Amino acid sequence: MTAFNLSRFGTLIAFVLLCVAFSIAAPQAFASQGNVYNLIQQMATLAIVATAATLVMTIGEFDLSVGFSASLAAVICFALFGQGYDVWLAVPAALLAGIVAGAANGILVARFGIPSFVATLALGTILSGLAFGASGGASMFKNVPDGFKTLARGDLFGIPVLAFWIVAVLGIASFVLTQTEFGRRLRAIGGNPQAARLAGLPVLRDVIVTFAIAGGLSALAGLLLASRLGSVQHTMGEPLLLPAYAAVFIGTTASPTGSPTVIGTLLGVAITGVLANGMTILGVDPFIQKIMTGVIIIVAVLLRRMGRTAQ
Amino acid sequence: MTKFVTSLALSAAFALTAAGTAQAAGEKISVLTPYLSAIATAEMIDSFKAQAEKFQWTVDVVDTAGDMGAFASRLEDATTKAPNAIVLVSVDPAQIQDQVDKAKAAGIPVVTIDGAKNASTVLNVTSDNFVLGQTMTKFLFDAIGNKGNIVRFFYSAHPGVHARELALDEALKANPDVKQVADHYVQVPGQIDDSRAAMDAILLANPADGAINAVWAGWDEPGIGANLAIEAAGRKGIVVAGIDGNPEAIELIKKCSAYIGTVRQGFTQMADIAAEQLNTILAGGKPEKDELYAPVELITRDSLGVKCE
Repeated sequence: MTAFNLSRFGTLIAFVLLCVAFSIAAPQAFASQGNVYNLIQQMATLAIVATAATLVMTIGEFDLSVGFSASLAAVICFALFGQGYDVWLAVPAALLAGIVAGAANGILVARFGIPSFVATLALGTILSGLAFGASGGASMFKNVPDGFKTLARGDLFGIPVLAFWIVAVLGIASFVLTQTEFGRRLRAIGGNPQAARLAGLPVLRDVIVTFAIAGGLSALAGLLLASRLGSVQHTMGEPLLLPAYAAVFIGTTASPTGSPTVIGTLLGVAITGVLANGMTILGVDPFIQKIMTGVIIIVAVLLRRMGRTAQ
Repeated sequence: MTKFVTSLALSAAFALTAAGTAQAAGEKISVLTPYLSAIATAEMIDSFKAQAEKFQWTVDVVDTAGDMGAFASRLEDATTKAPNAIVLVSVDPAQIQDQVDKAKAAGIPVVTIDGAKNASTVLNVTSDNFVLGQTMTKFLFDAIGNKGNIVRFFYSAHPGVHARELALDEALKANPDVKQVADHYVQVPGQIDDSRAAMDAILLANPADGAINAVWAGWDEPGIGANLAIEAAGRKGIVVAGIDGNPEAIELIKKCSAYIGTVRQGFTQMADIAAEQLNTILAGGKPEKDELYAPVELITRDSLGVKCE
């Protein structure tokens, strides 16, 4: 195998080897159909948040508010359920909140020139406060309509509903990024925003739209997580942030250019998901799981760098 | 490079295979909690593990550091693993109802410690958290003569702590001369440091003598953080009380600090009761009831025989 191929396919090979190793170690549990079903369900929320992060990273920015947007959307939805509102009003309202929050991030970054790291962290903190205020800090799990629970539970034709969400969201995002003019513009902005601006691309609008989409996707992830759990805590989305970016970084190693791609991100999500799932099944201490995840990110990025150097 | 990747993968494979086969004989119990960083939760799990050793059970513990989404996933993993029983610690099963239902459907008995009663679990062993809140609140209010200003440290996401908060709300209504002048929602994990930082700020915002008379802590760790801030600021005339009977809190009571009382939950007893009942369940029997309470005890300077000037 050449250095080039290894740099591009090393992450995929590592994923396959992990699956093989877990299948050998726990054949009846890990390799079972039920566990594959579980894995898909467990990865869905992270996959969608990581896709939001991928879109924003494509334009060369970061969105640290993705987890907070997810929490706020879920809290808004459940608060509306508590007021007696139906799914058809509560879910769109929650999604809209995510889109508005994302657009606000975009405006702060593109219009006012605040670094995205700072702007999204600040706005995320505001969203966290709003979620806390709306929930009162308590866990919310009452008055949840059955229709809402079906968003992320159960299956269609034996396939988990969440698998369809993954395919739909990641499929559309990948298509937009690779096959549309909008996607090409985003990559141009990520490559060199100044050149994109001089070339007459609508950078301001595209950046705002990208952040708005990321906010909407984060809100969707929060709603799906809430549907899966049947409960909401105002901090529930926050733990998604670091694994989402870890997945994106792992995914960049599978890209020929080292840039974020939706398919690469899905691979990153799959690696982190399989690690957590397999190690739990084996009864491995949680701290080892964290260490392994960190080691894999470092190794993957190092392989990528070594492969590129060898080219 | 290829050799490097191959050896890395093989090492991982051997390590994982070894981990998978290195399990002892006896019943396998999966213990899961989102709050292992809390001393009380750790105490319960340690006590349960000690009991499990006596029964020759194999126990694996999973912690998700406050992440309920990950908790749901790890519970699914535990169900897939098909242990003889699952024990959930410091969590209300209603927060992950679908996953608990799946464990039940898989025929795995689920026991909660410091949780809540649920149709899909066979047993919950806990303290009556409302009574805990009432006991501590009455003690604290009596200590300030049922008059003065208090600060509340709370964490409503935990159902047990929330029940204690409801007891405080009731007591505040019944005692109009006691005013709540500030409150703080505690960040978990990192609860002691977070509470100390919050109390630092609250003290600065309320600098006058008598502006704050007492700190009501939903559990001991925020009280310990508040006590640190009070000591650092050199403020006098403020008393602190919490709940759990945390060993550090008891030491502070013994040292005549601002920390004057805690209500000990029988965490060890909870874990012991849960293990005893689980042993019956694993033998094909039924628990005495679907909810059992461990005894509680108010710990103060008096109960510890400490004399302070």
